[in-house]
Amino acid sequence: MLRYLIRRLLWALVLFIAVTFVTYVIFFLVPANPARLAAGQSATPERVEEVKHFLGLDRPFYVQYGKFLKRLVLEGSLGQSFVTRRSVNEEILRAAPITASLVFGAMVLVLSIAIPLGIFSALRPRSLLDRAAMIYVLIGISLPSFWIGLVLSYVVGFKLGLTPIAGYCEVFSVPEAAICGGLWDWAYHMILPCLTLAIVVAGTYVRFVRAEVMDTLSMDYVRTARAKGAPEPTVIRSHVLRNAMLPVVTMVGMDIGLLLGGAIFIETVFGLNGLGGTAIESIGRFDLPVLQGVVIFGAIAIIAFSLVVDLLYAWIDPRIRLT
Amino acid sequence: MSTAQTGNELLVVEGLKKHFPVTRGIIFQKEIATVKAVDGVSFALREGETLGIVGESGCGKSTLVRCILKLLEPTAGRVLFQGEDITGLSRREMRPLRRNMMMVFQDPYASLNARKRVGFIIGEALELHRIGTPAERRRRVQELLEVVGLNPEHYNRFPHEFSGGQRQRIGVARALAVNPKLIFCDEPVSALDVSVQAQILNLLKDLQREFGLTYVFIAHDLNVVRHISDRVMVMYLGKAVELAVRDELYAQPKHPYTGALLSAVPIPSPDTGRARKSVVLEGDVPNPINPPAACNFHPRCPRFQAGRCDVDTPPLAPILDDHLVACHYPLERWPMDIAEQPAAAAAQPVESAG
Amino acid sequence: MSEPLLDVRDLRTEFSTDDGIVRAVDGVSFTIEPGQVLGIVGESGSGKSVTCLTVMGLNDAKFATSTGEVLFRGEDLLKAPGARLREIRGNEIAMIFQDPMTSLNPVHKIGRQLAEAVLLHEDVPRKQAYARALELLKAVGIPRAERRIDDYPHQFSGGMRQRVMIAMALINNPDLIIADEPTTALDVTTQAQILALLKRLQEDFGSAVIMITHDLGVVAETADEVIVMYAARIVERGHVRSIFNEPRHPYSWGLMGSLPRLDMNVERLYQIPGQPPSLLNPPAGCRFHPRCAYAMPICREQDPALAVTGTDPSHEEACHLDAETKARRAAELVSSLMTGAST
Repeated sequence: MLRYLIRRLLWALVLFIAVTFVTYVIFFLVPANPARLAAGQSATPERVEEVKHFLGLDRPFYVQYGKFLKRLVLEGSLGQSFVTRRSVNEEILRAAPITASLVFGAMVLVLSIAIPLGIFSALRPRSLLDRAAMIYVLIGISLPSFWIGLVLSYVVGFKLGLTPIAGYCEVFSVPEAAICGGLWDWAYHMILPCLTLAIVVAGTYVRFVRAEVMDTLSMDYVRTARAKGAPEPTVIRSHVLRNAMLPVVTMVGMDIGLLLGGAIFIETVFGLNGLGGTAIESIGRFDLPVLQGVVIFGAIAIIAFSLVVDLLYAWIDPRIRLT
Repeated sequence: MSTAQTGNELLVVEGLKKHFPVTRGIIFQKEIATVKAVDGVSFALREGETLGIVGESGCGKSTLVRCILKLLEPTAGRVLFQGEDITGLSRREMRPLRRNMMMVFQDPYASLNARKRVGFIIGEALELHRIGTPAERRRRVQELLEVVGLNPEHYNRFPHEFSGGQRQRIGVARALAVNPKLIFCDEPVSALDVSVQAQILNLLKDLQREFGLTYVFIAHDLNVVRHISDRVMVMYLGKAVELAVRDELYAQPKHPYTGALLSAVPIPSPDTGRARKSVVLEGDVPNPINPPAACNFHPRCPRFQAGRCDVDTPPLAPILDDHLVACHYPLERWPMDIAEQPAAAAAQPVESAG
Repeated sequence: MSEPLLDVRDLRTEFSTDDGIVRAVDGVSFTIEPGQVLGIVGESGSGKSVTCLTVMGLNDAKFATSTGEVLFRGEDLLKAPGARLREIRGNEIAMIFQDPMTSLNPVHKIGRQLAEAVLLHEDVPRKQAYARALELLKAVGIPRAERRIDDYPHQFSGGMRQRVMIAMALINNPDLIIADEPTTALDVTTQAQILALLKRLQEDFGSAVIMITHDLGVVAETADEVIVMYAARIVERGHVRSIFNEPRHPYSWGLMGSLPRLDMNVERLYQIPGQPPSLLNPPAGCRFHPRCAYAMPICREQDPALAVTGTDPSHEEACHLDAETKARRAAELVSSLMTGAST
């Protein structure tokens, strides 16, 4: 088990280096001149050169990457914004909780919709519930997330006035100037965005859970359990669910990582200035360090969650422990 | 080598080994053990004969064939085809030789591409080796369908439209397409029902007579191997333990493992079957990562003698004409008696015979 | 004569599929006495496995319907409610499946899976159930059973897993064990071990066994009574010696003649032409007639019933051929096999 853990950790490290490198290369190749942007529209060429030197953009590529990596690893710093001169870390620390609230909140909703629905439609294929679930799956998969978001915020938020249609409230360190704060306000503001994201994602999950459960139901060991005389609820509980949930665990982990980097549409619709919003803003301003910071943070999130998933998996599935 | 080479061998295999490394390590994989999947197998195959290779799962019989065909790179040893050493040949150099060595696979459901028409599947080898014009190839495929007992008009059908036995006929036709000299059959009938199995075995025999084919026939079913083979090689944990003419091997097995295998096969006759004393081996085939020392079989052998079998590795050596066995205390009698221990006289080394 | 343990009467099982109705079992009747070993032989699709799954009530109720009677000690299992069936399954009737690699749940320890079988039927403390599991693991010859009870299935070899399956089947002392191709997935020497084990345990526990197999050799060596099935029907049945020494149905002749034998050399195997028929649309009359070398006009029209035509009153076959020809052909076949054996 320890060996497995160490190997997974080292593998995560390799992935981390690869991801930062690729990200850095991509941004280095972007055909924009950040120094010009940083220096301002009216700057003289000499001034631009000066800024370029100041930002270190005149050094060879590998020196820049080395400096970047050194700073990232030793100081845990993602650099400074070209535009605001603020630390990228601060930007991300401000934005990440917003996105995390959205993603985790949505994932809780997704699982509480998809697992029961998936299981029931697998147990009663072609039943009314199963057909209804499949129609829902189709809708969830085919409708764009921003459309669902807009419809929900119009109907639930604007027409019915049940929830706010935009904004975010801090739970813990509420700023002085904030108009809202605390757990209740946070949940009240997050419910609509989370629901939107959940509706979009849950479709895939219902289908996935249904397929996994049906697959497991046809396994020989399920027949063995029935041949032992186990009643159907016992068969499902102790021989189907755990086995069927294994791949779902993997998928949840991967998706959390993915969504942390990219719930952009929903953030925009609900005016949440999370990671997605920050990224879009920085693209518009050619603020490469911030954009890079968001991408790297997303990548680290994906790596971290797949690591957690792998370890969780090894804990659930005895076949993996020995390898 | 003790396998008498007279010069007309189609295929000679000498000391063939295939070792798979078992690695462990966090970044740098260091080799901690090897699985000796095939560990020094030698035999010679005469033109027109059938060599049966039997053994239980994991004995290395399929790996052996894959090494001969160079689908796997052997670790050591030589393979000579028609006198030419093919061990060091590159992929490109192998290509013209491939049409002489074809393979029939076990699973007629999985080994045919479900999206291709039967005509294409059978004719693919012709196309790869650029034989004939499209019209000629088509004629040849139809001829082949007829040869294996299928309707030539079914040229345009898909594999799923055929039954298991018919699919195996397609597999045979595919192997025959380029007029090979040698066909490797890897468990070709083990997925088929008994009545269909007989059809395929008869077909293989008929084709051999008609086209002068040479077969290497791998199977775990000793009945089937007996039926089709001229000579039989028994493998255990990567090694050949006995190699003999068919009747000799089945009537007078010398290796205790062969004896155990033979007595384990149920006989479809209640009188004979229940009357015989069978030797039931204890335990499982050992882990090939860490096989027993010296004679691999010694921990399960009813004739095991401490101090000899677990110390000296018995070589595969002739005990009679055309009967090779790798055992210090070969069986003297058959059917063997389970309690029968090697007689004091037999405790003398027999290896000098080689 | 005592009441039979299991009395199956005119059993018919149909599956509705997208292509139509498949009659997988079509009018099968047989009985089994306590402690008896009944062999059911047939090729794939002959209905031998479905017959047994129907007895166990393990067919998927959504697609399968069964009629007839399955009397287990006089109680009709086809009409029994689900709760009663679950009481019987794994307790009075246990089953061993073909593939030991997939028949055990990979995420639970062996001990738990064995103890589960006890706990489902008996209200005993967990500890006692585990003790029983350990006892059975020892009985089926698992070395170091005390330690291995805490292992997972993937830590066992195929032969060892089949031993675990056998332990699970025997754990509640069933009166009847249904073994569906229990050795097909195993190597020859492992098969010999498992068959010897089954035989020993069957004697110790006194259970009756239904042994389903396609391997005539396995049947010949283990069964007391034999049923030969073809295309969802029984074509021949009788004592094992009678079946093998005087087979009376052309399909049985074909099966025996088409087997390569360890104890004899045959240059060319007898082959039954063609394929087993589709059960969606089986041939009229005798289902074997399209492949039968002895087919007569009547075979195409009239379905032969099982009947005694020879000297042995317990040996029946379903064939229109006259008794004389059957006797002559059986004698020829058996003597050819005998002379083969002596060469």
